Amino acid sequence: MSEQSPTNLDINSLSNDLRNAIENLDTKKQLDEVGVITRIGDGVAWIHGLRSAGYSEVLNIETPNGIVEAFALNLLEDEIGAVLLGDDAAVKAGQTVRLKGTVLEVPVGPELLGRVVNPLGHALDGGPAIKAKQTGLVEREAIGVMGRKSVFEPLMTGIMAIDAMFPIGRGQRELIIGDRQTGKTAIAIDTMINQAKQNTGVVNVYVAIGQKFSKIARLVERLKQEGVMDQTIIVATSPSDPASLLYLAPYAATAMGEYFRDNSQHALMIYDDLTKHAVAYRQMSLLLRRPPGREAYPGDVFYLHSRLLERSAKLSDELGGGSLTALPIIETQAGDISAYIPTNVISITDGQIFLETDLFYQGIRPAISAGLSVSRVGGAAQTAAVKSVSSHLKLGLSQFRELASFAQFGSDLDEATKKQIDRGQRLTELLKQHQYKPAAIWEQVVSIAAVTNGFFDTVTAAKIKDAQSALLTKLWAEHKKDMQTLDKGDKPDDAMNKIIETAARSAAKGFAG
Amino acid sequence: MTRLSRRSIAEYVATSLIEGKPSKKALLSELAAFLIDTQRTDELDLIVRDIEYYLAEKGYVRTNIVSAFDLSAETKKALEAFVKKATKATQVSLSSMVEPAVLGGVKISVPGRELDQTIVRQLTVLKTRFKKV
Repeated sequence: MSEQSPTNLDINSLSNDLRNAIENLDTKKQLDEVGVITRIGDGVAWIHGLRSAGYSEVLNIETPNGIVEAFALNLLEDEIGAVLLGDDAAVKAGQTVRLKGTVLEVPVGPELLGRVVNPLGHALDGGPAIKAKQTGLVEREAIGVMGRKSVFEPLMTGIMAIDAMFPIGRGQRELIIGDRQTGKTAIAIDTMINQAKQNTGVVNVYVAIGQKFSKIARLVERLKQEGVMDQTIIVATSPSDPASLLYLAPYAATAMGEYFRDNSQHALMIYDDLTKHAVAYRQMSLLLRRPPGREAYPGDVFYLHSRLLERSAKLSDELGGGSLTALPIIETQAGDISAYIPTNVISITDGQIFLETDLFYQGIRPAISAGLSVSRVGGAAQTAAVKSVSSHLKLGLSQFRELASFAQFGSDLDEATKKQIDRGQRLTELLKQHQYKPAAIWEQVVSIAAVTNGFFDTVTAAKIKDAQSALLTKLWAEHKKDMQTLDKGDKPDDAMNKIIETAARSAAKGFAG
Repeated sequence: MTRLSRRSIAEYVATSLIEGKPSKKALLSELAAFLIDTQRTDELDLIVRDIEYYLAEKGYVRTNIVSAFDLSAETKKALEAFVKKATKATQVSLSSMVEPAVLGGVKISVPGRELDQTIVRQLTVLKTRFKKV
């Protein structure tokens, strides 16, 4: 007998083979279940019949211009509400609808790297059609408890303020939240760039939800310049796309990211942004006549985001140890983080990076609020080297901002307070960072150590960046091997600390004010 | 008053039609009065579809055949036998229609199900596949 033994069974290929068999099943000479469109409008078709249709099942609407796909979202006793995935111009009442027999799937795999696709996996970058060997389910259950592992590996963003104070681990969900034009996307892009610069091997999946194509084109250009595009997939939807595509975009992109997670690799998901996603879902829900709740969102808007973000996880060793990290973005109105969608996503994620408009216009960029930002699980994943120099950074910075606001009212301050304010100012200056310039681990460790250990106490706040630059240049020129060792992320030993101190004090001399 | 679903109405009408109680005339008058009273006359077509669906479930299958050319009596008989076998019907009432727009082949429609082997549909499927590529 040549039967395959159960231990040799490849479950992944089995499920794919089965899906192919379903698609290629010869259904000729069989009666297909059909329905008929009774009403159509605003991208929603109401269908009579198809009693065996399942939730989220794909339906084929036969129009004179070809088959238009839709997916069933409202399963009522007398009719089905389905959201169209394509142009609704050719869809008319009376047209025949058939069940496709599958739920939504998108192409997944390495073939998508470097490409810009829509949520159905069709190329948008003018390149050849995507010919992926595998497909992934758009809606998929999250990994269970036993399939997971605690977050412990760092996912370096290259942004000193984040890596030092709010470290992110692989498999974590860290929300980026703030008003419009406060640098939310910039943080996400820098994180993507850092993955290429530091050769982390992390695959980036950027989901643009309802964003102008001109903005996406600029982003693609920048990522190409930085050499990141080769390890990036962009799933793009524009404001002119139907709400159904905007709704599907993050789920489809997550399916693409899950491929890497499930193959023992690491992927980073950036959802830009979930506010627009919630708005698209609200539009769909209202058109499907679901009852509106708070801010007119449907009752399941929490589930909309929780089931999406729960798919990000660090897998157990038995499942290959891959990870899917999520950086969802939420836009607030006038800094109100207590609105409906922001509070929902804050409660779902493992922490948030809050960006303040005031800080942004003061020139403190990235405009990260030390008081309102938090990383709940990242501490365990922080690089030992960075951890060794940043233990009191967050507290010091928060105290400085409080002291500084008091200090502006009085003139007489004791020496200790003055010193704390001075160091806080230096720290604030140090944590300012240009966009597209992520810092390596050794650069972060050296810079933070120089300020927090008081080696730069003689340098005025205005000259801190110059002093930092001089220090980094000096260390790279004179101690390149040591810095390469430090870059590996281990806690610096005494000898290393001595090298940093000597170089920092020497660099500070040139900028004493 | 709770709104009765079309399915419930159709199930009642189909069952009554099979049982013959009340009489067909009385039943249809009852249904017409109900639809007028509840201002649901615009749902008539859909209710008829649902009634056909329930009747088909009970073995009374109304079948419509569309073809580009007139079918011979033998072909119709063969199609009727096919429908009977496929739907496990006890009674099949066949109606046929000539529709040159289907170009060729045949389309068999029974309540809620269909077998479309027309050339026009095959062309539509082909068109969609080419669009995807």
